[in-house]
Amino acid sequence: MKDVCSCLEPRVKCRTMSKKPAAQPTLHKVIMVGSGGVGKSALTLQFMYDEFVEDYEPTKADSYRKKVVLDGEEVQIDILDTAGQEDYAAIRDNYFRSGEGFLCVFSITEPESFDATQEFREQILRVKNDENIPFLLVGNKSDLADKRRVPLDSCRERAQHWQVPYVETSAKTRDNVDKVFFDLMREIRSRKSDDSRATNGDVKGKKRRKIKCAIL
Amino acid sequence: MGPPPVVTGISPKEGPPGTRVTIRGEFLGTSATDLIGLKICGCDCLLSAEWKSKNKIVARSGPCKGRGDIIVTTRFGGEGTSTVQFRGYHESIGPVKESAVWVEEAAPPSLPWGRRPMSPTTYTPPDPLGLSTEGDDCKFPEEELNEMFPDGSGKLSDDNFQPGWYLLEHHSNTSYEDLKAGMVFLQRKVESQKEGQLSFLKANTGAVMDQLDRLVLLKNMYEEDERKNGKEPLPSLQAAIEESITLADSLFSEILSRKDNADKTREALSLLTRHKFLFQLPASIDRNIRKKEYDLVVNDYTRVKNLFGNTDVKLFQKILAEIDKKIEDLKEKLYTRMKTMPINVQEQTKYIRLLISLNWEGDAAWVAITSRKEYLMSLMNKVKDHFKQKEEQEANEKGATSPASSPGNPPPRSDRQTSSYGNNFQQEMIIAAVELFSEHMRACLLSPGGGKLVPTDTLRVRLVANLRHLREAYDSLLKLDLPSQPLSIVEKVIFDYRVHGMTVFLQRAHKRVKGLAEKETWKIEEYSDYGAITNLPHLLETYLNEAFAAIHKCVVTSGRRESPLLADNSEPAAILQKHIQQILLAYVTVLQDLALNHEDQEFNNSNLSVALEQRAEEGAGAGPGAQGAQPAAWQLRLLLAGANAAYTRRHTLAAIATAIHNFGFPKQTQALQATKEALSTLESTIAETYLEHKGDPLVGTIEPSMDMGRHKTDADAIVDDARPYVYEIINNLIAVDSVSGAASSRYVRDICETVCEELARLAALGTPGAPMSPAAAFQARLEYTLLRLACAEHLTRKAENHLMEALAGIPPIESEEEKKRMDTIVQGFKKRMELQLASLNCNMETV
Repeated sequence: MKDVCSCLEPRVKCRTMSKKPAAQPTLHKVIMVGSGGVGKSALTLQFMYDEFVEDYEPTKADSYRKKVVLDGEEVQIDILDTAGQEDYAAIRDNYFRSGEGFLCVFSITEPESFDATQEFREQILRVKNDENIPFLLVGNKSDLADKRRVPLDSCRERAQHWQVPYVETSAKTRDNVDKVFFDLMREIRSRKSDDSRATNGDVKGKKRRKIKCAIL
Repeated sequence: MGPPPVVTGISPKEGPPGTRVTIRGEFLGTSATDLIGLKICGCDCLLSAEWKSKNKIVARSGPCKGRGDIIVTTRFGGEGTSTVQFRGYHESIGPVKESAVWVEEAAPPSLPWGRRPMSPTTYTPPDPLGLSTEGDDCKFPEEELNEMFPDGSGKLSDDNFQPGWYLLEHHSNTSYEDLKAGMVFLQRKVESQKEGQLSFLKANTGAVMDQLDRLVLLKNMYEEDERKNGKEPLPSLQAAIEESITLADSLFSEILSRKDNADKTREALSLLTRHKFLFQLPASIDRNIRKKEYDLVVNDYTRVKNLFGNTDVKLFQKILAEIDKKIEDLKEKLYTRMKTMPINVQEQTKYIRLLISLNWEGDAAWVAITSRKEYLMSLMNKVKDHFKQKEEQEANEKGATSPASSPGNPPPRSDRQTSSYGNNFQQEMIIAAVELFSEHMRACLLSPGGGKLVPTDTLRVRLVANLRHLREAYDSLLKLDLPSQPLSIVEKVIFDYRVHGMTVFLQRAHKRVKGLAEKETWKIEEYSDYGAITNLPHLLETYLNEAFAAIHKCVVTSGRRESPLLADNSEPAAILQKHIQQILLAYVTVLQDLALNHEDQEFNNSNLSVALEQRAEEGAGAGPGAQGAQPAAWQLRLLLAGANAAYTRRHTLAAIATAIHNFGFPKQTQALQATKEALSTLESTIAETYLEHKGDPLVGTIEPSMDMGRHKTDADAIVDDARPYVYEIINNLIAVDSVSGAASSRYVRDICETVCEELARLAALGTPGAPMSPAAAFQARLEYTLLRLACAEHLTRKAENHLMEALAGIPPIESEEEKKRMDTIVQGFKKRMELQLASLNCNMETV
C-alpha cells in the first residue's frame, strides 16, 4: 500500500513532462468502429496513404498518426483502427476510452453491418458517457451502388435519430474519404474549444474530469 | 541525404513478441538494401524486416515489453522518427486462458505439463502473491501506468520494478482481503526460500538432474568431436572455407563473364535500335530519292549530320561515308536536273533550295539563272529559226494556209528569277536577254511585211497576236521593276513595230488603191450632184477606212507606258501623212489612167461623125477583149471618171477627213489639199478632153454641111425648111446629151456653146463675102431660130450671145408673108421634131 501511495509523487512529475511537447500541433484522436469487413482499414489507409488495399486482412488494432492542415491550422490526427470482429469485442472498451471522435462505419451492401452500428453507438456512449461525443455515421462502399442493400432513407433516418451527420464514402474511389475525417476533426476541434471555455466552471468539463478522478 | 524516415502507421499497434507488424510511413527507404535499421520499442527487428515499398515495411516485433517508438533507419535518410507507438506485451498462455489473439506458430511450443515455460520470451513468473489473475480482463490502461511510473516497470525481474505498477496492472480488481492473503503467501514464500540450498535442490531435483544429464552429454559430444577432428579444428575449417571461397569465386566469375557477354549483346542490340535511324538511312535515302521526296532526304541528312557528324565510331563513319556518297550523287543529279531545260521556275527553285540545303559547293541559284538565260537565248533563237523556216515553207507552197500561230514568245520568266536573286551582274544579263528577245521579235515580226504580200486577215491576226505577246512581255518586265534600260529597248521594239504595222496597212491600202483600175466595172452606182459615178470613190473610202480601222485597232492604241504613236510632228505622223497622200494621189492617177488610157485608140476615128463613131465604137467593142469587158463607151467612161473625180473631191475627201478625225489621227490637210488640187486638174483635163473629142467633130461638121446646102440656096429658091446641118446639129446634140446627160449636163452646155460660137463665126464669115439674098437671110434666120429653140434649155449666156450675134448679122425679115412663112416652118419643125426636142429638153428634168 505504501508503494501505491508514494507513486503519487512521480505522477505530478509525469504531468509536467507530458506537457512539454506542447509545441506539437493539436492532436485529434479518431477511432474507427464498425463491423468486420466494412472498410475501416481501407478508409484509413486511403486517407493516410492514398492507397486502396484490395486484399482483406482482419485488423487487430492499428494506429496511425500524421500531420494535416485543418482549415489552415496544422493539427495531428491520430487514427485508431479497431478490429471489427466480435472476437475482439472485449478489448474495445479500452480503446474507446481514449477516442475523441468516432467514425462508425458500415457497408451499404451489408444490412448486418448497418444493424451493428446500433450496438457500437451504444457501447461508445456507455464508455464515453457523453451524448454529444463527435460521431459520424459512415456508409462505405458507395461505389457498389448496384449491390446496395441498405436504403439511403434508413441510413438518414438513423443518423437523424442519433443527431449525427451521415456521409456515404468509397474507400475505393476515395469519394468523401477526406470529408469524413476532416468533418470529424472539425467537430472534435469545436468540441475542444467548448471544453476549454468550459474549464472555467462548466458542467460538461467536470463530467469528463470526474471520469479520470474516479479511476485515480 | 534524403529526408529521414517517418513512421506514421502501425498495424497492429500492440502485440506479443513476434507479432507480424505492418509499418507504414514515409521515406522508408528506396529499396530493400536501403533499409539499414529497424527498431521496435528498442528491439532490433531488421532481420525480420521485409521492405515492401517506401511507405510500407512488414516486420516482426521483438521481445520487447511496453510502449515504444518504431525507428526506421535508411542509408540515405538516416535515423527516422515515429508518430505512432507499438506496445509489446507478454501473455501467458495457459490451457484455460482465453486468448484474443492468434498465437504465432513461430512462438515456442508450450512445454509439456508439469514444467514451467523456460523460454524467456514466454516466461511469466507465477503471481508472487499466489493469487489467480485469470478472469482479470479489465486491464489497467498502460498509458496511465506509464504516466504514474515514468521510470518504473511492472516486471518482477526488472531492476526498476515498481510494486505499485505490478499491483495496479494485475490486481486492480483484487479485493483488499485477497491482497492481504497474497501478502501472507508472499511472506511465507520468502521465508521458505531462505531455508537453504538443500531445500532448493529438493524442490528442484528434476531440473537439476536434467541439467547434469545435459552437461554430461555436452562433454561427451565435445570429446568425440575433438577425437574426430583433432585438437585444432580450425585449419581444416580454414581449408574448407578457402576451398569454398575459390569454388564460389569460380562459379561467380563464370556467371559474371556470362553476364558481361549478355550485357554486351544487349548493348549492341540497344545500340542498333537506338541508331536504327542511321543504319536505315542509306536505304531510306534511296527510297526517298526514288519517290522524289527530296525534302525528306535533306531532313534526314541534316539530322544525321547533326547527330553523327563528329562521331568517332568507325561503323558510323562508314555509314556516313556511304550516305555522303549518295548525297553527292543526289546533288549531281539535282544539279543536272536543275540545269536541264525546259523546267519551270518553281521546280528549279525547289532544286536550288535543295542544293543549298545540301551544302552544294558553288552558287546554285546563279548557275540556275545562267543556265536559264542560256536556255532562253537558245530558245529564242530556235523560235526564230522555226518561224523563219515556216515562213520559207509557206513561201514555197504558194497559196497554202498561212501560219495560224504567231511566232513563239518565250515569257521572260528568267528575268523574274534573276531579279529576285539580285546582284550586280543581273542588269547586264537582263539587258542581254531582253536585247536578244527584242531583236528576235523585231526580226520575226518585221520581216514578213517586206518580202511578199500576206493575206489581210492573217496579217492582221499576226500583227495583233504579236503585239499582244510583246505587250505581255513588256508588262511582265514592268512588273519586275527593272531599270529603265531594258524596258526602253522593249518599248522601242513595240513602238517600231506599231509604226511598221501602220506602214504595212497603209502600204496595203496603197496597193489596193493602185489596183482599183482593174476593179472598175463602169457600172453606174448612183447619180450624184456631180453626175453619175461608179463605185470607185466608195471603194477608195472603204479601203481607207479599213486601213484606218486596222491601224487604229492594232497599233494606235497605246499600252502601258508606251508613247503615243501619232504625236504631233513625230516621225510616224509624217509617215502617215506621206502614205495617205500617196494613196490619194495614186487614186487620182488611177482615175486619170482610167479616163485617158484609151485616147490613142479613140483618136483614130475621132474625126468621124458621132453616128459613125458610135458604130465604130460598137465594132471596136466587139473586137478587142479588153474593151469587150467594158461595155461602156469611152466617152461614158470619161464622163464617169470626171464625175468620180468631182465626187471624190467634194464628198469622199470630206468623208475621209471625218474618218481621220474620228479615228483620232492628226489632220491630213496637206494631203487632202494636194489631192483636191490634183482632182481639180484631173477634172478640167477630163472636161477638156471630152470637149475636144465630142465638140470638135461636131463643130467641124457644121461648116461642110452648111457649105453643102449653100450651093443650093444660091438659086433663091423658096426656103421651106432648114438645111440638113441644122438637123445634124440637133441630132448630134441629142446624141451627146443622151450620153453625157447621164454623166453630166455640163458637157452639153459646153458643146452648145462651142456650136453657137462656130455658127456665129460662120455667119460673120459669110456676110462680108456677098450680100445675103433674102432667101438666104431667111434661111439663116430660120435655122438659127430653130437651133435656138432646140437648144433653149442648154444655152448659156455666152452661147445666147453668140446666137444673137449671128442673128444680128442677118438682115431682118421685111415682109409679113415671110414672117408668117417662117412661123409656119417653125411650127412644122416643132411638130416634126417634137420627139427630138423633147428628148433634148426633158433630159434635164428627168435626170
